[in-house]
Amino acid sequence: MAFLRTACAAALLLGWTPRLVAQTGKASESHLKAVFLFNFAQFVDWPSAAFPDSAAPLVIGVLGDDPFEGFLDQTIRGEHVRGRGFQLQRYRSVGEIKTCHILFISRATGARLDEVLANLRNRPILTVSDDAGFAERGGMIRFVTDQNRIRLQINLDAAQAASLTVSSKLLRVADIVTPPGR
Amino acid sequence: MKSVAAGTSILVSLGLVCFPAPGCAQRPDTGAQRPDSSLSADSLKKLSIEQLMNVEVTSVSKRPERLTQVASAIQVITQDDIRRSGVTSLPEALRLATNLQVAQVDSRQWAISARGFNSTTANKLLVLIDGRTVYTPLYSGVFWDVQDVPLADVDRIEVISGPGATLWGANAVNGVINVITRNSRDSQGLLVSGGGGTELRGFGNARWGGTLSPTVHYRVYGTGFARQPTLLPSSLDAADDWHALQGGFRVDWDASPTNGVSVHGDLYDGRIGQPSAGDIAVSGRNLAARWSHTTSATSDVRTELYYDRTHRDIPGTFGEDLDTYDVDIQHRTELGQRHDLVWGLGYRLINDRVVNSPALEFLPPHVARQWFTGFVQDEIALVSNRLHVALGTKLEHNDYTGFEIQPSGRVNWRLSPSGTLWAAVSRALRTPSRIDRELFVRIPPATFLAGGPGFHSEEELAYELGYRHQQGSLALSVATFYSRYHGLRSVEQLHPPAPDTLVIANGQDGESYGAELAADYRLTGRWRLRAGYTELRVHVWAQPGSTDMSGGSAESHTPDRQFSVRSAADLPAHLSLGGTFRYVGEIANQQVPAYGELDMRVAWQPAPMLELSVVGQNLLHDHHVEFGTPSARRQIERGVYGAVAWRF
Repeated sequence: MAFLRTACAAALLLGWTPRLVAQTGKASESHLKAVFLFNFAQFVDWPSAAFPDSAAPLVIGVLGDDPFEGFLDQTIRGEHVRGRGFQLQRYRSVGEIKTCHILFISRATGARLDEVLANLRNRPILTVSDDAGFAERGGMIRFVTDQNRIRLQINLDAAQAASLTVSSKLLRVADIVTPPGR
Repeated sequence: MKSVAAGTSILVSLGLVCFPAPGCAQRPDTGAQRPDSSLSADSLKKLSIEQLMNVEVTSVSKRPERLTQVASAIQVITQDDIRRSGVTSLPEALRLATNLQVAQVDSRQWAISARGFNSTTANKLLVLIDGRTVYTPLYSGVFWDVQDVPLADVDRIEVISGPGATLWGANAVNGVINVITRNSRDSQGLLVSGGGGTELRGFGNARWGGTLSPTVHYRVYGTGFARQPTLLPSSLDAADDWHALQGGFRVDWDASPTNGVSVHGDLYDGRIGQPSAGDIAVSGRNLAARWSHTTSATSDVRTELYYDRTHRDIPGTFGEDLDTYDVDIQHRTELGQRHDLVWGLGYRLINDRVVNSPALEFLPPHVARQWFTGFVQDEIALVSNRLHVALGTKLEHNDYTGFEIQPSGRVNWRLSPSGTLWAAVSRALRTPSRIDRELFVRIPPATFLAGGPGFHSEEELAYELGYRHQQGSLALSVATFYSRYHGLRSVEQLHPPAPDTLVIANGQDGESYGAELAADYRLTGRWRLRAGYTELRVHVWAQPGSTDMSGGSAESHTPDRQFSVRSAADLPAHLSLGGTFRYVGEIANQQVPAYGELDMRVAWQPAPMLELSVVGQNLLHDHHVEFGTPSARRQIERGVYGAVAWRF
C-alpha cells in the first residue's frame, strides 16, 4: 500500500498523469461543441457595458451555417447564468451582429475570416470557431478535435483586448496560443 | 390512331399493371426517436469542463459543403423532420422535400419525380440508399414498394432537383435522392415502437444497437407492418392490402483515425393483394461494404461495393429476379490553393431474369448487362470563398449505346455573407432500359407494341439559376430552370397508316421550365415554420415525321404548381405538435383534380424514454385521388394511427 502511494506520488512528480477519468462518454462533435459554448458563459466575465441592462439575456450567436442542428437551442433552453437567461441568434453577416456575447463562427461562413475578426476586434464578444489557425489569426477560442476528443486553444491576448476576463478554471484546461509577432 | 393511343396507355399502365408491384418494406416510423447521441443535452450539461474534454467525439463534423451541393437546388430532410412529421414510409418522407413531385397511386405505389416527367415508371430520378442505387433496369426507375428504410435510423435525406449526372451518373437527369442512415455508433441501445390505426393497420419496430469493442459498433433491426387497401373509383375495396417484414444490420468499425469501415445489409419479404389474381410477392436482400481512407488532411479515398437481389412475382402479369453487383471508388484531393479535385471509377453488372406472360414480355427474358463509369470534377476557387467554379464530366459505357458523356459546369458566387447566387449548365442522359428496347406487348385484338432496337438515350440540356439567402433565423431559396429535351420516348406506327405494329422510339422533343421556392423561419427556439412553392411547366411534342400524337401524355403527369406549409413546435408539458398542409395542382392529362390535404402529429413525452403520439394523415377529406387515369386510379383515404415508442 505504501509502495503504491509512493509510486503514485513519484508518477505525479514526474508529470505522469494517468487517465483517471477514463472516458466520460460519447457525443457527436456538434453536440459537444454546443455544450462547450453554453459552458463558456460561466467561465468568462463580460464588462457590464456589454449588456443593455441588468436583466438582458446572454446572447449566443452563430455566424454562418448553423452546424448544431437545433441542439444549441435545446442546450440553452430554460438555462440561466448569473441571473441572466440565454438567447440564441443566427447571423448571416457580421454587420447584423448587435448585442452578442458568445459568437460561434461557422466554418462555412464564407466571408473571409480575417475580415470578420477585424470587424469584431475589441468588441466584448467571445469569438469561437473550429477553423484552423483561428486563435493565431486573432480569434479567441478554437475547438481542436484531436484523437476523438475536443481540446481548446485560447488566445488570451485577444480576449483581454476585448475586455473579457477568462476564468483560470478554463485556462487551466486549455492551450494558450500567442499569435506570432508578439 | 386508336392503337397508338392504346400503345401509349399501355406504357402508362405498365406501371399500374406490372411495375407497380408491391412491396415489402415500408415501415412505420415510431415518431419517438430523438438524436441517438450516447449523451443527451442534459447529461452533457452536467459534466465539468474537464469531463467535457474527455467525451469521445463520435461523428466528425461534415467537411465544408461541396460546390455541387451549394450550387444546386438541394433540400435536406433531417431526422428531426422525419420524426416530427409522423411519416411512416420513405415515399411519405419525400413529401417533405418541396422540390419533388410525390403522388400516392395506391396502397403501395408511388409516382415520384423532380421537375416533371412523373409517372409510376418515372425514369429521370436517381435514388441511393447508403450508396446503393435502388434502380430497376426494367424501366430505369424505382420500385417504391421495396425501398423501406428504418426511418428512426435515417440521419438525413438529401434531395437535389435538377441534373446531377456528372457526379452521380445516368438517371440523375432531373434529380437525386440520397438517403443516409446513421452510423451505428449513433444508434445505440434498444428502441421498440409499435402502433396501428385506420389505414396503417398495425406496425412494430425493434432496434438494438451495441458495441463489440471500443471501435466497433453495430445495430440490428426488425420491422413489419400491415396496410389497408385503397378504394376503386367506385369506392369499392381495391384489394391492394399489403403486409411486409424486413430486418437488417449495420456494423461500423473505426479502424483508426484515418480508416473507417462500414458493412450493412437488409432482408425483406412482402405481399400485396390483387383484385383478380393471386397476391403479388416481393422479396430481396442486399449487402454493402464501404471503406473510407483519409490519406492526408486534403485527400481521401472511398471504396464501396454492394450486392442486391430482388424478386418480384405478379401472378398473371410478370415475374423478375434481378441481381446487381456494383463497385465504386472515389478519390478527392486538393491541388494547390485553388483546386479541389474529385474523380472516380465504377463498374456495375446486372443479371436480370424475367418470367414472361401472355400479357407482357421482355425479349430476351434473361439478360446480363454491364456499365463502366468514370468521372472527374475540378472545383476551382477563382476568388477564395467568393467565386467558385466547378467543371466536370462523367464518361459512361453501357451495353445499349456505348460511350456517353455528361458534362456540367457550375458557378457559385457569394454576393455577401448572407446571399449566394449560383448557376449551372448540364447535359444529362436517360440511357435506355429494358422497357425501351426489349418490351413486347400484345394489345387486343391484333396490335403489337415492341421495344425499339434503335432506341438511344434521351438527352437533356439544363440551365439553372438560383439564389439563397439567410438572414438571422430566416432562410430563403429560389431555384429557376429551363431544360430542353431531345429524343424523348415515343410510340411510333411501324407502317402508317396501319397501326398493327407499334414501336418505341425517340420521336419526341420537349422543354420544361419553372421555379422552386423554399422558406424556413424559426420564430422562436421552439417553433419553426417552413413553406415551399413550385411552379412548373412541361411541354412535349412530336418531332417532324413522328407518328406519336400523345403530346407526351405517356411521359409526364405533373401538376403545374404545388405549395406546402409546415409547422413544428415544442409545447409546454412535454408536448410537441407538427403539421403540414399541402396543395397540389391539377394533373391535366390525367384529369386528376387539384387537392389540398393536411397531416398532423401530436406527441407527448412524459419521460425521456417514452413517447406517445397520434398522427392524422390526409385529414381534410374522406378520400382523394393523387394520380392515375380515371379508370385506373385509386382513392386514398384519411388515416389516423397511434404509436408508442420506448427506448432503453
